Amino acid sequence: MPESRSHTRTETRASTELQVEDSWRVVVLNDPVNLMSYVVMVFKKVLGFDETRARKHMLEVHELGRSVVWTGLRETAEAHVFALQQWHLTAVLEPDEAR
Amino acid sequence: MKRVEVKLSLPVVAPLLDVIRELSSELSKSLAAPQALHDLDQDFRGAWIGELLEGQNQDQRSLLSLFDAQFFTEGVVAFDEKNAEPIVRACTAFRLQLRERRLKALSDEELETGDVDMSGLEEPVRKAFMCYLFLATVQELIIQHLDSSIIGS
Repeated sequence: MPESRSHTRTETRASTELQVEDSWRVVVLNDPVNLMSYVVMVFKKVLGFDETRARKHMLEVHELGRSVVWTGLRETAEAHVFALQQWHLTAVLEPDEAR
Repeated sequence: MKRVEVKLSLPVVAPLLDVIRELSSELSKSLAAPQALHDLDQDFRGAWIGELLEGQNQDQRSLLSLFDAQFFTEGVVAFDEKNAEPIVRACTAFRLQLRERRLKALSDEELETGDVDMSGLEEPVRKAFMCYLFLATVQELIIQHLDSSIIGS
């Protein structure tokens, strides 16, 4: 029994470390060209945000210069960054160091 | 299918098409918004940029196709659920390129507010700025009238 519990703890730690490694942020940076209404529409379209959430992130981009719009697994983060770039937003991938 | 027809002023818009065609040519091999892709390996980055560029070119063709025989005879262009999305994106690509290549004389604040003394601009800059505003108007029209269609597609 003790051996088994120790094994479980090791697995849990390994699993937690894997999550930390796999967590990435999708960050949208400000640009002076895109219309506010356009950025809101893109956030709704690409990230599935509702109007309120899309406007909140748009204003964050506008006023603070950047907004973290999504956090999670790298593969999905890459897909979001690609889709945002298709709409010509400046979107970058960053490791989520907060986790 | 939801469809919006807009009557444009031929004498105002037709001269801007020369600028738009030049922009399209400039953007055929480069992205309007160069992206930092440091975290991707070389091969993946190449494929990534290639796909973005292909999409950008398709979007531009959609926008240019608006200005067909009907436009030159009646001044009318039509937006619908099928062409709205690529046209909105193409407008952004062209506006980014205008700022980068032709509107350096204007500050970001002037571009954002549109508060510019047109009479003080040299002709090429004036024409580029007119084009910048025209493309923003097209975007606003589409977003205002077809936003729900775009989101739902």
